[in-house]
Amino acid sequence: MALKINAKWLLAIMLITPVLISALPTKVSGEMWGRWTNAQIKAADGNDKISKNYFSLERGYFGLETTFTENTKARFTVDMYSSDAVDDGAGLKLKYAYVDFARLVPVPELTLTAGLQKVYFGTIYDWNYTIIGKAPTDEYKIVNSADYGVSLNGYIPGGWGEYAVGVYNGEGYKKVGSALSDNTNFAYLANLRVTPVSGVTVGGSFMSNSVKREKALADDEPVAAYEEQMLMDGVIRLNYNIVDVWGEYISKQRKFPNDDTKDYTANGFMIMPIISLKQFVEKDFQLLFRYDSWDESDNPSSTSFYKLNATTIGANYNFFHNASNVPAMQLQLNYTMKKYNEDDSAPAYADGAKDSNQLMLQLKWRFSSTISK
Amino acid sequence: MKNTFIIIILSIILIAAGPLMAARKKQITITGSTTVLPIAQAAAEAFMDINDVNISVRGGGSGVGVAALINKTASIANSSRPMKAKEITQAKSAGVNPVVYAVANDGITIVVNQANSIKDISIKQIKDIYTGKVTNWSQVGGPNMPVVIISRDVASGTFEVFNEKVLSGSKVIDSAMMLASNNAVATTVGDTPGAIGYIGLGYVTDKTKIVTVEGITPSVKTIKSGEYKISRKLYMYTNGKATGDTAKFLNFIFSPAGQKIVEEQGFISVK
Repeated sequence: MALKINAKWLLAIMLITPVLISALPTKVSGEMWGRWTNAQIKAADGNDKISKNYFSLERGYFGLETTFTENTKARFTVDMYSSDAVDDGAGLKLKYAYVDFARLVPVPELTLTAGLQKVYFGTIYDWNYTIIGKAPTDEYKIVNSADYGVSLNGYIPGGWGEYAVGVYNGEGYKKVGSALSDNTNFAYLANLRVTPVSGVTVGGSFMSNSVKREKALADDEPVAAYEEQMLMDGVIRLNYNIVDVWGEYISKQRKFPNDDTKDYTANGFMIMPIISLKQFVEKDFQLLFRYDSWDESDNPSSTSFYKLNATTIGANYNFFHNASNVPAMQLQLNYTMKKYNEDDSAPAYADGAKDSNQLMLQLKWRFSSTISK
Repeated sequence: MKNTFIIIILSIILIAAGPLMAARKKQITITGSTTVLPIAQAAAEAFMDINDVNISVRGGGSGVGVAALINKTASIANSSRPMKAKEITQAKSAGVNPVVYAVANDGITIVVNQANSIKDISIKQIKDIYTGKVTNWSQVGGPNMPVVIISRDVASGTFEVFNEKVLSGSKVIDSAMMLASNNAVATTVGDTPGAIGYIGLGYVTDKTKIVTVEGITPSVKTIKSGEYKISRKLYMYTNGKATGDTAKFLNFIFSPAGQKIVEEQGFISVK
């Protein structure tokens, strides 16, 4: 079945691409991440054991961005990944499918975006994977990186920052069908980042979301699993000379109006300095550090309470840059140590909260080319 | 595990650090707008004749130049339009403080083939041509000849200014030829009897004919005064106020010798 679904997608892309390219200026872009992963975990007997050692195509993107007019552009992106969850060993997901309407609202540099699009929350919407790991809001499952909805997003005149407000399904780009019929409430988002002076960016995001129905459709009985989420995020970026430091604070409040014994708040932060050695070694070489702290210990569910400290050190060697000097090929090396407060007797341990050391070496390449008549 | 990691990372550092000891010559890197390119090239050549500095000049378009400035790989970004709020935000966020220098004035000149008898055109008529409402020159007072529309590609700064001042955001008709440089537009218009195009004043050739817009000829006087409607300034952006050799180079462009180069390239002095 999976193969048939994938084949349909590929067929659709193959049919649509030449039509778009022949008619309108179209930017074709792609990205692939080939990775070697080697991980050790602390096993139940207290010894470190190798848990992963494999090569994979961890992620791939293929995208088309079509310019209908100077003010109307559409983007379509599929996400490809290695997975044994499907019979043919690879999966395909629709990641973006939206239209940008500029100048629809008479505000300078404001765009109305409709469709499957970015979620403008925290760092997730402009996380460019300088480090191999995901954005914290992705890693700790705070929000989805893309979702179906409508947003107004733009830039403050004079270059003082950016903003977005949006209405989304709230379930994310992977959920369709029954997941949506179980929840008829939308998620609401507001995001603001300001850059008061060069090299200093501060911002915050707020999102209200819900899961499941408050009352069952059939009999109006309260649904115990119904939850309301208040998600908050603060971002700071300091960039001076060769040092670029990102910081993020996240708070996730989950309330269960029909079963308040499950209410809890989780929070955490990340700090990530990136040091460019380009001016010293005359090659685009970066050193990376990242420290995460995530506290889910108030979660009363049986298997998820834990505190995590994760430290990553790494290096990037960027080569084959495009005309704007954005790396077209990147060799990334990351070493990540995760430490949980739980020992092997805790329920969370069985749920994956095991101390681990992981080495990843990744070759990432991307291309982009605009085709016009 | 940790030893493996250290060995791999040290190997990469050693490979990358190869040229560390190499001697460096003073270098200015300029990239961006193809419209500003001839000014930058001619000024760089004249400047290098009298200064011990190496200046590398490339085109690519205004967007590419601005992106290179944001990525800290260009000393100067050439742009035929002001930076957008999005670009300024991205630059400031990346620790880049864009400082603008308006180095020349330019009129976006409407050109047709020498065989075309039309002499004057209005902005509305130009818009009607580029959006497909006018398909024959006879509809705007010209000869009975089909219009062949030549445009710059949408990524160029020249297109952005044309789009803002003439098209007001309307879409160029699909049958238009979208070309990547001013030279390509000038050459194609010169070779195609029914063609119309728009190019920087400095790119007008003997094979093309300038059409006045609403009775105004693009000239030093009309462009400087703003009387000629489709005019603009040409910019060079630096990260912070220019210092050292970059400041010397910009001072040279603003000097009488530099502004003479601007005029020799067919543009209009800012002095």
